[in-house]
Amino acid sequence: MFDGLDKHTQEQLKRDFKEAHDFDPKDPLFGLRQSDFRGPKMGRRTVLRLLAAAGMLSMSHLLPQTVKTVLGQSGGELTAGWAGVGEIRTLDPAQINQVLQFQIASNVLGGLTHINPDLVAEGDLAVDWQVSADGTEYTFNLREGVTFHNGDPFTADDVVFTFNRSKDPQKSIHTGTIANVQSAEKIDDLTVKFTLAKPQASFLVKATERSSGRALTIVSQGGLEALGTEQYGLTPVGTGPFRVTEHQLGQGVTLEKFDNYYDPQRPKLDKITIIPIIENEPLAAAIEAGDIQLIGGNPPAAELIDRFVDNSDLTVSIIPGPGFQALFVNPWREPMRVPGFNKSISELKSESGFKVRLAIAKALDRDDYIARAQFGRGVPAFGSINPAMGFFFDTAINDTSEQRFNLDEARQLLADAGFPNGDGFPVLRLSGTPAARRELQIVAGILKQNLNINTEVDIKDFPVLIDEFDAMEYDLLRIGSGGDFDPDDGLVDWMITTSKFNGPDRDKENMPFGFFSEAEVDAAVAAEVVEPDLDARKALVQKANNLTSNKVAALFLFHPLDILVFRNEVNFPAESRIPGLVDLDRVTLG
Amino acid sequence: MAQITTELKTPTLAKASRLRWLGYLWRDKKAVIGLFVLSLFVLSAIFAPWIAPYDPNAMDFQMLLAPSMDHPLGVDDLGRDLLSRIIHGARVSIFVGLSTVGIALVIGVFLGILAGYFGGWIDTIIMRYIDLVWAFPNFIIAVYLVAVFGTGLENVIIAIALAYLDDFARIARGMVLSIREQDFVASAKSMGASSLRIMRVHLFPNALAPIIVTATVSIANAILAEAGLSFLGLGVKPTTPTWGLILSDARSFFTRAWWLAVFPGMAIMLTVLSINFLGDALRDIFDVREYQD
Amino acid sequence: MLGYLIRRVIHALLVIAAVATLVFFMLRAVPGDPLRAMLFEIGDAEAVEALRTKLGLDQPMYVQYVIWFGHVLQGDLGNSIYGSRVSVSRIITEAFPRTISLAGFAFIIALLLAVPAGIVSAIRKHSIFDHVFTFIAFLGLSMPDFWVAIILIIIFAVNLHWLPAIGYADISKGFWPWFSHLILPAIAIGTAFSAILARMIRSALLEVMKSDFIRTARAKGLDENLVIFKHALRNAAIPVITVLGIAIALLMSGAVIVENVFSIKGLGRTLIQGILNRDYPVVQGAILVVSVIFVFANLLVDVFYTLVDPRIRYEE
Repeated sequence: MFDGLDKHTQEQLKRDFKEAHDFDPKDPLFGLRQSDFRGPKMGRRTVLRLLAAAGMLSMSHLLPQTVKTVLGQSGGELTAGWAGVGEIRTLDPAQINQVLQFQIASNVLGGLTHINPDLVAEGDLAVDWQVSADGTEYTFNLREGVTFHNGDPFTADDVVFTFNRSKDPQKSIHTGTIANVQSAEKIDDLTVKFTLAKPQASFLVKATERSSGRALTIVSQGGLEALGTEQYGLTPVGTGPFRVTEHQLGQGVTLEKFDNYYDPQRPKLDKITIIPIIENEPLAAAIEAGDIQLIGGNPPAAELIDRFVDNSDLTVSIIPGPGFQALFVNPWREPMRVPGFNKSISELKSESGFKVRLAIAKALDRDDYIARAQFGRGVPAFGSINPAMGFFFDTAINDTSEQRFNLDEARQLLADAGFPNGDGFPVLRLSGTPAARRELQIVAGILKQNLNINTEVDIKDFPVLIDEFDAMEYDLLRIGSGGDFDPDDGLVDWMITTSKFNGPDRDKENMPFGFFSEAEVDAAVAAEVVEPDLDARKALVQKANNLTSNKVAALFLFHPLDILVFRNEVNFPAESRIPGLVDLDRVTLG
Repeated sequence: MAQITTELKTPTLAKASRLRWLGYLWRDKKAVIGLFVLSLFVLSAIFAPWIAPYDPNAMDFQMLLAPSMDHPLGVDDLGRDLLSRIIHGARVSIFVGLSTVGIALVIGVFLGILAGYFGGWIDTIIMRYIDLVWAFPNFIIAVYLVAVFGTGLENVIIAIALAYLDDFARIARGMVLSIREQDFVASAKSMGASSLRIMRVHLFPNALAPIIVTATVSIANAILAEAGLSFLGLGVKPTTPTWGLILSDARSFFTRAWWLAVFPGMAIMLTVLSINFLGDALRDIFDVREYQD
Repeated sequence: MLGYLIRRVIHALLVIAAVATLVFFMLRAVPGDPLRAMLFEIGDAEAVEALRTKLGLDQPMYVQYVIWFGHVLQGDLGNSIYGSRVSVSRIITEAFPRTISLAGFAFIIALLLAVPAGIVSAIRKHSIFDHVFTFIAFLGLSMPDFWVAIILIIIFAVNLHWLPAIGYADISKGFWPWFSHLILPAIAIGTAFSAILARMIRSALLEVMKSDFIRTARAKGLDENLVIFKHALRNAAIPVITVLGIAIALLMSGAVIVENVFSIKGLGRTLIQGILNRDYPVVQGAILVVSVIFVFANLLVDVFYTLVDPRIRYEE
């Protein structure tokens, strides 16, 4: 998408990006002045700087939005289908573990701040805020006259209550995100002070922000006491534009307009019904028949997208998705055994295990795969750095990576490894979830066609697949990552020796590392995490990314897209098109 | 299941009677058609690799092609020829039907005869187990077994067999119980015949009729069960083409490609239909035979 | 009689207890850790362990069993391990009426189709009518119910837009929404069942029609049709009642698949999803409820059967 813009805009965005990253990392205020940290609106430049300092700034934050804004009338009822899920298990922020749950909760509960797609941080439940000179104390002035759905007034007590609840591991699974926040103190009914252990750039743009800061999504103390935790999780009481009037397990959630919402302009809709639809066919049938007007939840299955695009009653909004999908190859199994990656590539290439690994990677025609498996919707991947990371993403890797498709070389490598034309090659297992069944069959077909090797598709439920993955009990396993906006999300979480997914439950005596371990990658990542200079950071990130690609840390397949589908009568304004969310407060019908 | 009340006859099956069976069978038009269609499918199953025009797993063709001269039943979403897949599908589906019922029959009848003949605590244990299994829809049992042991052909067969053996056990046991009372068993015993011989010569042949009928019905249902399990994604592994799996794979494409919905379903339907026709004809034969004596 | 009844009830209770126990232990034999899967994205091992302790899943199995059983006897079926940990009783209370509505509706459709078809087939045996009806019945028996469901959706929901494609509407929302959401799934389930029922009615009627008292009545010159309707029907009711026992099993199996196709969160779907998600308490609770229904329904059928025809007795 970045490439689709004109040169001038590209240059401007690059300058913005660079400027945002231009500060002294030791500065507790990240190169900003205290006066910059104020409400009711923090300027774009400030927000960009904070995002950059938190390591969260990506090009997708800067891209202009493409969904047109058309005004419609207030009122009306919307029925939405939530894809790929059987039931909405909870809407209690402290227990929410799925994005699809938060998509709903975001309409019902509020946070202190909210960043809109223009990257202006606006107050949501806070109107004003200041930071201390040493960057460890944040004081928020709260909005007056806000009430919860049950009529209780919103005060500082509720903020402190929410904070303490989120700090308690017995009550919340998100204690880790506010680990750096030591306390929340009520100054008066409309003022709250947070004390941090260390300066934290992401505090304002992540922790207190409505979309991502679940730890500080404000819950109603009165509501909790009245309903009890179990019921509160189904029909939470919040300060958001909609309130939950009904929740039938497995059948649907009903939201209705909250008349006392602090912004009289919102919401527009009177009522929203959200129905979880786990199967593809019923979902497609429902939106085509008009039974539902919008699809939220998990991304709709690739095979349905063409159908939706061809349908003149539907609008399909596609933006770059942050994430990757890959096939992880077990380096501890024959015939792809690689006991160590700390050698030069040419040395590695002399080992038969690595040859097999590389042969399989080179035999995977990603374009073919995407055309067949994803119906052309996706970007070929050669590393964990994805297009939504903009500046850090370099398409040069498509042409330079050792992993790129080259049939002759693939066959040669396989023959050199001792399996000419696939003779004698053992049957490897391709493990994946039921949702990946089709894709894995395509991979099996491609490998058979290109290398003449046979693979067995092994479908396992997600819990079992995770067990296998963590214990390194697989041959080839398909898994991926989503919501990666910063290089750290791709590199730190997946590619370094100590990453949390790197075989934590393996037999450590026989397997010194998980699926990958390379000293130069570790060093480069350790350096980029703290590197303030943009170009230097980019160089380090790309060095690490290229190494993981060339040394086949995994067989990278593709980067998924973020797709929103709705009927033409639904007006989804650009301001609401935030990746990963389905905010319905500005949506109108007609 | 419903009680089977049949008249008892002398246990020997004369050759003449068997010919009479065939005569009755021939007269029932449905059975003839059923037999004919069924043999078509069975032959396809046996000779699949030779009959099928293409490799069922080869993704060589353009996706979602409508039926044409090259591909009489069309092409699926992964570029595989549907006709070849359906022909190979006959293999697995029929194999599943036969083996599940075969296993269920052997084990079930064995248990049932044991229970009926020896009575006492053997009877109690076996009947308790039967009751346990019977307390559930076969489906749930199969789903559960698949969750524990994983998907795959063997597990599907075991799951369905376990779910169906209760019918056979009950019939066998019921037969044994009613026959046991009869005089000729007592007289045979007094003449010194061993239990085993009694079971083999006297009891077993009389249980044969309802068992055959139940077996045919069960084969039909087993094929439907496997289709259902595969449809839910709980059946065979993805590469083995069974009709249920073909339908399941194609779920997202039905509105664009009607052939993917219609043909596999019809294959299931025709096979099951012919087996049902046969079974019904057999049931009629056995009933008719009774009333004639 | 009373003794027989008591024995059967105790027998039934033992079966239910045995099933519940068996399921409890076998569930934990299923591979896959639900907690780790649930918190996979967060990747915080400590959070997983904290949750495990909180839910009591770190105790040895037999301890968990005793605790659970104790709760069950007090009427507490436990809570789902996911999300807000809704109570299992609540999940089941919400799911149950959906399946019952569906099964009941399917049963009525089946009756409406099968009874007239079965009777007419029997009376006009070997006529064109009989042959056609028999053929249709077999057709119904042979079609996989999910296939029927899909075809119905394609025709009536997607192409004609007459009926909704998915979901369930509670009857509190009005009769028509409840009804319209149930028609297609009920037809899908009901067709196979009606075929079986029609065949059973037909053969039962045929048997009865050959029996003595019908012949006597005929000999006495009574109006044949009247005789049939009064006596034969009453006797034909017996296999129908018997079939009720199987009906429940058939309808629920059908419900599992059809609930899946139509996205209706009924008992069957709850059970299947629970097994796949390793939501132990939900599965245990659902199986308990399902087995209670089955065992007691079959008990009632047996008792009724015994009452109606004392010659036919279940051996104990």
